Amino acid sequence: MKRILLVFMCLLPFTAGGQVIVDKPLSARLTGYDIDVTLDPGKHTVSGQMTAWWVNHSSMPVGEAMMHMYLNAFSSNKSTFASGGRWSASGDDGWGWVKIKSMRDGSGNDLMGSCGYVAPDDGNENDKTVLRVVLPEPVAPGDTLVLKIDFISKLPSPIQRTGYDDDFHFVAQWFPKFGVYETAGMRQRETDGWNCHQFHPNSEFYSNHSVYNVSVTLPSEFVTGSGGKLIEEIDLGGGLKKEVWRAEDIVDFAWTAWPGYKVVTRKWNNVDITFLTSKMGLSKAENHLDAVVYALEYLAARVGPYPWPHLTFVDPPLSGSGAGGMEYTTLFTTMGGGAVPTFMKMPEMVTIHEFGHAYFMGILASNEFEEPWLDEGVNSYWEQRIVDHYYGGGYGLVRLPFLKMSDTDQGRLSYISSSNRTIASNDLPSWMYPHGTYSMMSYNKAATWLHTLQGIIGDETMDNVFREYYRRWAFRHPSGRDFISVVNDVVKKEHGDRFGENMNWFFDQVLYGKGECDYRVSGITSFRIRSYSGVVDGDSVTYARSDRKSDTLYISRVSVERLGEVMLPVEILVRFDNGEEVLEKWDGKTSYKDYEYTGARKVVWAKLDPYDRIDMDVNRINNSWTLEPNRTATRRMLNKFVLLMQMMISIFTL
Amino acid sequence: MSLFKTLKNGAAAAASSYKLILLIWVTTLVLTLAVGFPLRSFLNMMFGSSLAIERLNDGFDLGIAGDLGKSLGGLMASVSAGTMLISLAGFFIMTFFAGGLFRRFSLAWGGLKVSDFLRASAGNFIPFLKIALLMILIIGAYTFVLIGIPVIAGLIASGSPRQNGKFFYLFYVIWALGLPVWLFVADASRRWIAATGSRKVFRALGAGFRAIRERFWHSYLTVLAVIIFNVIFIAALMWFAATSTPEKGIMVFLFFIATQALFIIRLFMKAWRYASVCEAVQQVKS
Repeated sequence: MKRILLVFMCLLPFTAGGQVIVDKPLSARLTGYDIDVTLDPGKHTVSGQMTAWWVNHSSMPVGEAMMHMYLNAFSSNKSTFASGGRWSASGDDGWGWVKIKSMRDGSGNDLMGSCGYVAPDDGNENDKTVLRVVLPEPVAPGDTLVLKIDFISKLPSPIQRTGYDDDFHFVAQWFPKFGVYETAGMRQRETDGWNCHQFHPNSEFYSNHSVYNVSVTLPSEFVTGSGGKLIEEIDLGGGLKKEVWRAEDIVDFAWTAWPGYKVVTRKWNNVDITFLTSKMGLSKAENHLDAVVYALEYLAARVGPYPWPHLTFVDPPLSGSGAGGMEYTTLFTTMGGGAVPTFMKMPEMVTIHEFGHAYFMGILASNEFEEPWLDEGVNSYWEQRIVDHYYGGGYGLVRLPFLKMSDTDQGRLSYISSSNRTIASNDLPSWMYPHGTYSMMSYNKAATWLHTLQGIIGDETMDNVFREYYRRWAFRHPSGRDFISVVNDVVKKEHGDRFGENMNWFFDQVLYGKGECDYRVSGITSFRIRSYSGVVDGDSVTYARSDRKSDTLYISRVSVERLGEVMLPVEILVRFDNGEEVLEKWDGKTSYKDYEYTGARKVVWAKLDPYDRIDMDVNRINNSWTLEPNRTATRRMLNKFVLLMQMMISIFTL
Repeated sequence: MSLFKTLKNGAAAAASSYKLILLIWVTTLVLTLAVGFPLRSFLNMMFGSSLAIERLNDGFDLGIAGDLGKSLGGLMASVSAGTMLISLAGFFIMTFFAGGLFRRFSLAWGGLKVSDFLRASAGNFIPFLKIALLMILIIGAYTFVLIGIPVIAGLIASGSPRQNGKFFYLFYVIWALGLPVWLFVADASRRWIAATGSRKVFRALGAGFRAIRERFWHSYLTVLAVIIFNVIFIAALMWFAATSTPEKGIMVFLFFIATQALFIIRLFMKAWRYASVCEAVQQVKS
């Protein structure tokens, strides 16, 4: 109790004014930032002061602090982020960096002499994206570390996530920010310690939910947007203004400023949605706003409420497209897609995906560095569900009379068509995926096996898994094991032992294993029983010679095989020539299985996984076998091909 | 003579050449089937005895592409190579038959035996090929000047060719309105070759330019009217073909008959342009 009181006393100064945005704190609010800066659009710098605080919630004194200094990823092409030719400055003015001019603790001690860069992930001496601050006095349990910092940040160009192009500024990862101090047991960690990773090409998010009070002074003609709620806009005179934002319980604070922004707004329930776009992007504004509303509606119903009353998203101009497709919880960026035909829903897909991160990483603040599948994979899974639900009648990405594609299939396609799909397990840290497989593995393989899990346990149970995941872990830091634990509990509660003691067997194969899933129907045979004919009388069959043709008996066999290492329960639908159908259930563990049927009926076709529940199956062509192939589709395609070619040569010749 | 009468006489001349048009149709059908049949067999082989082929019933489901694995690459390569082959062979064949058609339309009213048609096609092939290549170059340059340069300039100036959409639409409209001029010149030049028996390509082009200059609006509007009809017809035909998904065997057969009948009409409409230009030039001379 004394400790709680102490924490409360420490937090009091920083929460002055009480709750501004949400009714009560959503998170533990272990960190917070009061920032007052000025944007110099000519030099593309942001400079000023900040007060950052961190509460030691552990039971041990902590003698150091670790901070993200992510803008330094752009300070040389030898940083972990930029090395390998992944990024280089557009010129001398293109480099980006963040410099601390002074740092003092709450007692006024100068900490500049006790700061140093470390590279915990790869030991890269040229990487200056993680700062270690040795404190003069350890922070006692329950005490608050306060840092007062003067800093200047220079934005990079070309833009990659963050940066500037001419007068367009997207300001992200721009200030010194605490890492996450994890206590033993948290995310299965054995001992207390900081979790503060370097800035990587494929991951950048793992932070505490914080309170931000941010003031920015900038020229009056700039139109701005941020992850916070605009509290006040002050005309400073001389062509300058100050904008004051506050954000509560978000994991990062980013903002943007550009004179060319057009602003479109909409309200959904209690959420004020603001869309910043260019003049060119205005034509797609309603499409993007619809997409956000769909995502809000779908996730609120199936996962949990969106708790903030504000949401801003940005369609950067073409010159700033490097900032597109990023997520900062209550601020995200999409792609305009002005040139994309309206029947293709890629821009909407990006909007839904980036918004989804408000849940998967924003609210459920998993560690993107160490478990990217829990961030990108889970989010891609939901994005695919939303896109295919709202657009194209199940074919969300493209729906034309002659061409169609679902978003779910797009993700699955990326996974199954990769020659490296078995090169690694799906639980690696983001920077450890070999041969450029990060995206395929983290986004698409994970989404594909989540769809497979949904196929196995059912839609309703899957939704309940995520509702429970949200209930237990919202505004905390769940790990993959924590997610699995939720799955096990919910499945057990709803299905008992139907799938075994728990679902670990599933995750051991798809998440922690490298194998692939491939089942096939290897053949169908039907033999007439020649020695005897059967006399069918009701449900009984008498083996006796008969002259009646209808009494002829057949033995039909359907052979199925497991070609891959992954073993999943599958169904086989068998159709007979008299129209009857039988649904077989196979645990899929043996390498093959035969199903035999004796009777006056012959098997016509057999379809394994008839309802396409096993998305992980890397080849669905071999999932069925028919004795009566229907070639209508290819005949029709030939007709169309012939006509298309004839038209082509008649049009393109004089 | 009125524009309507020119078009009417052109249509009558094209209609009376139905045997020649049918010959051209059969040739294109054989050419495309020669490539199409192996592709269909390849596709059938890829699906084997699988029911997955049903996923192609309601339009091509791109989601199945990954399941086809490496054989999809083979199919795409075959389709690309087949398309190239048909394009090249089709260009030569259509150029060849244009020689016969222009001979037919440059004659006084009357028929042309198939043997005479083929003889005229062979005789005119080389100069027609040269005219076709020259006109393609001219139209290519015209397109570059009216569309290519503004797009490149816009791209350099604004970073996006779409920054000033309406401005660029103006260039597209100007380009489209100018196209009948070049088509008239190409047709009138070929008519000159067919009528005179000369093989002099540049003199033919000169004759083509002279012909349009002598009675510009009549000539221009003749081709423009035929092109408008053609564009509307082609758009309707392509929409019909793209959106039709017959599912039963007999319906697929009827679909084939319908599309081929419509293509024959398309060939007639192309011949209509040739005949109308010949008619218009003939009026200038008379």
